[in-house]
Amino acid sequence: MIRAFLVWLQTSLGKGAGDTAESWSEALLGSLNFWGLLEGTHLLALILFAGTIFVVDLRLLGVSFRRTRVSVISDRVLPLTVFGFGLVVATGLALFFAKPLFYYHNIWFRMKLALLALALVNIVVFHVRVQKNRHAWDAAPTPPWNARASAVLSLSAWILVITMGRFIAYDWFNCGKPQPHFINVVEECKASDDGAVEKAAVVKVAGPAKS
Amino acid sequence: MTFEEFFPHIRPWVANLGNVPPGSVVKPQFAVWEVAHILSLIMLGGATILMNLRLIGVGLTDESPSEVRRSLRPWLNLGVIGIVVTGVLIGSANAERLYDSNAFTVKMAALLAGIIFTYGVSGPVAKADGVVGLGPRIFTLLGFAVWLFGLWVFVTSQLINPGIFHVLTAAALIVLFAATGRLRWTYLVGLLVLIAVQSVATHIVIKPDDYTALTPVNKAFAWIFAVWILAAAAVAMFRPARPKAGGRLAQFIGYATILVWITAAAAGRWIAFA
Repeated sequence: MIRAFLVWLQTSLGKGAGDTAESWSEALLGSLNFWGLLEGTHLLALILFAGTIFVVDLRLLGVSFRRTRVSVISDRVLPLTVFGFGLVVATGLALFFAKPLFYYHNIWFRMKLALLALALVNIVVFHVRVQKNRHAWDAAPTPPWNARASAVLSLSAWILVITMGRFIAYDWFNCGKPQPHFINVVEECKASDDGAVEKAAVVKVAGPAKS
Repeated sequence: MTFEEFFPHIRPWVANLGNVPPGSVVKPQFAVWEVAHILSLIMLGGATILMNLRLIGVGLTDESPSEVRRSLRPWLNLGVIGIVVTGVLIGSANAERLYDSNAFTVKMAALLAGIIFTYGVSGPVAKADGVVGLGPRIFTLLGFAVWLFGLWVFVTSQLINPGIFHVLTAAALIVLFAATGRLRWTYLVGLLVLIAVQSVATHIVIKPDDYTALTPVNKAFAWIFAVWILAAAAVAMFRPARPKAGGRLAQFIGYATILVWITAAAAGRWIAFA
């Protein structure tokens, strides 16, 4: 059902009459400059978002701004972080719209979404539970262990989200290439246009590689 | 303008860089080093934005610029060292492409200007809580000249020149963040009107695939945006709205230092496109 929606999004939405007519998704992907501007803006927004959230996390770890209250860093820096996140999401959605089926069958993209969910859950837990008694440790150079643990989780999750995002550009595990059964299952390659090619079956037919 | 035009005789050496260490070692792990490059850029970006917004008079205003600098300096240094080291490594694995790239020339000019601004201007000015001494003044002129050269290559090189809109967008957002009261709203409305007029002109009045007609219109809009942003920044700097850490020159340095690094990051992305 999700795939059918994405097929419609990529090939039909906004498509006019005539043989050469393009859907909006295809027009975006084929645009001379707009695609590049979107990708560039995505990276620059990421610098604003992740760069500022890293500073907040470093304060929570007690390795930066140790003389400044945690609340001051949060109140002054997080508006920038939230604005950056909004821009990252907006440009990210537009980039996804240009190639929805490619992303849908990409293992790095799926891992990125899972880690993104983890990072967002961590933010909710931090604001609902960890931050509850912030007044008690607001001025402490090194906040308590649960605040530090949240900061470590945040830093790790965002670094991995960024790593997965960069790996999407590489075709190591694209559907249609011989690869382990597990990857084909995770990427739902069977349903993709390129199909699933099992590495084990290819090796069996071709025989073991000679040295 | 590419490095090939500056140093035409070194092409064989450049072409061989990918076959010898460190280029040959990095090539199979290119993606991992690319991630390290981006993470360094993010670290540098976060520290630069917060430190220089403080010089402009916004952001972490509860602390003095010298305190903000003291807290951010290790991470700023880590970011600069990270982008230079990983940049050299991934560059050596991909050298011939960079040698022929206009965007790479822009990136190198902006990198040099960024280092000059960060260590010769912005850092010392923040350390002195906004007082701009003779040394930072001289380095401002030097860094500004190098940055302008980079911007000139960015604007005049075909295929990469749309990337200048990244610098304009960043400048527009910084001014929006720094402006207050009625100025902020007037400026925002002006920006939105300009965006609407540009969209109509380049999608309805002129067909989106008529590149011959579109190019001069988009260039004209880039100039109009630049003038509007600079005018708003000038008004924000010259009106006595709230106490700032330093004078107008310190604020100018804050704007310039952020935008120099934005130029480097934007140009780096456009290496992949043209």
